[in-house]
Amino acid sequence: MSALEARQQSAAGTDGTGTLRLIRLAGLVATAALVFGIVPEVLGSLWLKVLISAAIYGLAASGVALLYARLGLVSLMQVALVGVGGWVTLKMWHATGLPFEIDMLAGGLAAAIVGALLGLPALRMRGLYFALVTLMAAAAFQIFITATQFPNGGEGWLGVSRSAPAFMPRPLLATTDAAMFRYVVAVAVLCFLAIEACRRSRAGRAWALIRKSEASAMAAGVSVAFYKLAAFALAGFVAGVAGGLLAATIGVLDARSFPAADSVMLFALTLVGGAYAFLGQAITGLLFRAVPALLNDVGVDGDIAFLIFGAALLHALITAPTGIAGQLFGLFGRLIRLGGRR
Amino acid sequence: MIEIRDLSVSFGGVRALDGLSARLDDPIVGVIGPNGAGKTTLLNAFSGFVPVASGSLTAFGTDLLAMAPHRRARWGLRRSFQTEEMVDDLTVADNVRVMLDALTMKPREKTAAVERALAFVGLADQGRLLCAGMDLYRRRQVEIAKIVAGSPKVVLLDEPAAGLQPNEAAALRDILVAIPETCGARVVLIDHDVDLIAAICRSTLVLDFGRRLAFGPTGEVLRDPKVKAAYLGLKEAA
Ligand SMILES: Nc1ncnc2c1ncn2[C@@H]1O[C@H](COP(=O)(O)OP(=O)(O)OP(=O)(O)O)[C@@H](O)[C@H]1O
Ligand SMILES: [Mg+2]
Repeated sequence: MSALEARQQSAAGTDGTGTLRLIRLAGLVATAALVFGIVPEVLGSLWLKVLISAAIYGLAASGVALLYARLGLVSLMQVALVGVGGWVTLKMWHATGLPFEIDMLAGGLAAAIVGALLGLPALRMRGLYFALVTLMAAAAFQIFITATQFPNGGEGWLGVSRSAPAFMPRPLLATTDAAMFRYVVAVAVLCFLAIEACRRSRAGRAWALIRKSEASAMAAGVSVAFYKLAAFALAGFVAGVAGGLLAATIGVLDARSFPAADSVMLFALTLVGGAYAFLGQAITGLLFRAVPALLNDVGVDGDIAFLIFGAALLHALITAPTGIAGQLFGLFGRLIRLGGRR
Repeated sequence: MIEIRDLSVSFGGVRALDGLSARLDDPIVGVIGPNGAGKTTLLNAFSGFVPVASGSLTAFGTDLLAMAPHRRARWGLRRSFQTEEMVDDLTVADNVRVMLDALTMKPREKTAAVERALAFVGLADQGRLLCAGMDLYRRRQVEIAKIVAGSPKVVLLDEPAAGLQPNEAAALRDILVAIPETCGARVVLIDHDVDLIAAICRSTLVLDFGRRLAFGPTGEVLRDPKVKAAYLGLKEAA
């Protein structure tokens, strides 16, 4: 069976004997058991914190991937939007004391609005020019947050206290590191499902036409401006939620953790991991946070990671446009076909 | 009834349409003319893809130029493109469904309308297939299904049979002829194939350098010496 036939069949929902579906289901169950059951129990606190941060940035990467895979847009401001979400979440908690979930949603909504506003230039510009605008936005945020710092229970609108910084407590459901890990993964999965639901519905069809050509989208009655901004809002929302989760994990946020360079790195690693499947974003998160930690752990300078990432990016750009995830899926498909022939 | 009045479009120094007027009354009206005559530009003016310098475009009493491009589509303006624009990673049904997304219909009505449109072009049971890897004829079928889904009022076709084999072009022709009575829309058909135009268009508009060279019943227009000189003559010489 050719790859195309396989795609046709899976699109038609008739996976031959149904074995493919079974294998997929088994894979999902096994992954869930591993992530929720085994990983949080066997890993120490240090590595759990690394994986929490990897999951958080994997979630943020899903917004970058959405813009890139669905609309071909390059956004170099995602880590800044994570910062916006973190800022609003902390501010909300210190100002109102409402449950974390509400603060986090407020952070997500705020980052969605900021993301959509910063996406406005994309209605006129494209390619490199728009990417540069987003990079400037990320740099502006870096300057702004270095000057103002994140809220930590102080007085005034900025809420920064230099003498007695206060911590935001972990959400009630996740006071231990193991529980926090499960909490973060659960929120990330919910966000992935929300993005997938959009992709399979009206919004996804509109995005597909816009990507094909804006003229064909308009000729189909699609409001190009609305659906482009909707994609930016959704990408901003997941970034904001990621920022809220980051704030909850540590209790405070450090302005130094949101440099513009990290936004560029997250975009590059989104391509390396694979922008077209959520597995890719999981890989992106691990590359972004776990690989540098791993290198440090074995005594290699964490900056070596940049070299590795640079090489991986070249590899992705030249030979693997669907990233590591795409290659894994390709390999998996070939194995199944081999098995089927026997 | 479609009314084009004194329509002008220019690109820099090029006058792609130059004071064009015509009143299109028949169910299927042909538009012919040499390469670069302004045929596609006329459709782009209908769609709102090019800036109109002067003139007006009305259809069934509605001023099309007053609406944004996507609103014109929702109003009932449908078109095909000179190069087909199917989306490979959407299914056939989703390629059609997107036309109805912005319309106020119940989901079940939309599903039924998609099925009807697919049946009309002869793709009744192929809605769940992806468009990737489909040949040009099937893509053109999907394109026509997109156009007739819902309730189109004005259908503009830009060389729908270009690149097809003769037998495929003949099959497509049978589908095109049936559009007006199936969905009640008026059809404007651009094509270089004069035999196709003669066979299915009651009246025909001939463009040359953005101007109206001739307009009227197809038979008369094609016998017009001016038209023969400007268009058909060129073809014979080539
Ligand atoms: N977007 C554009 N920008 C600049 N010039 C354009 C544009 N679109 C069309 N033109 C010019 O306008 C003139 C009319 O082009 P148009 O595409 O309407 O011709 P046509 O009759 O459709 O030709 P063909 O039979 O080759 O499809 C040509 O000189 C073309 O170069
Ligand atoms: Mg043309």
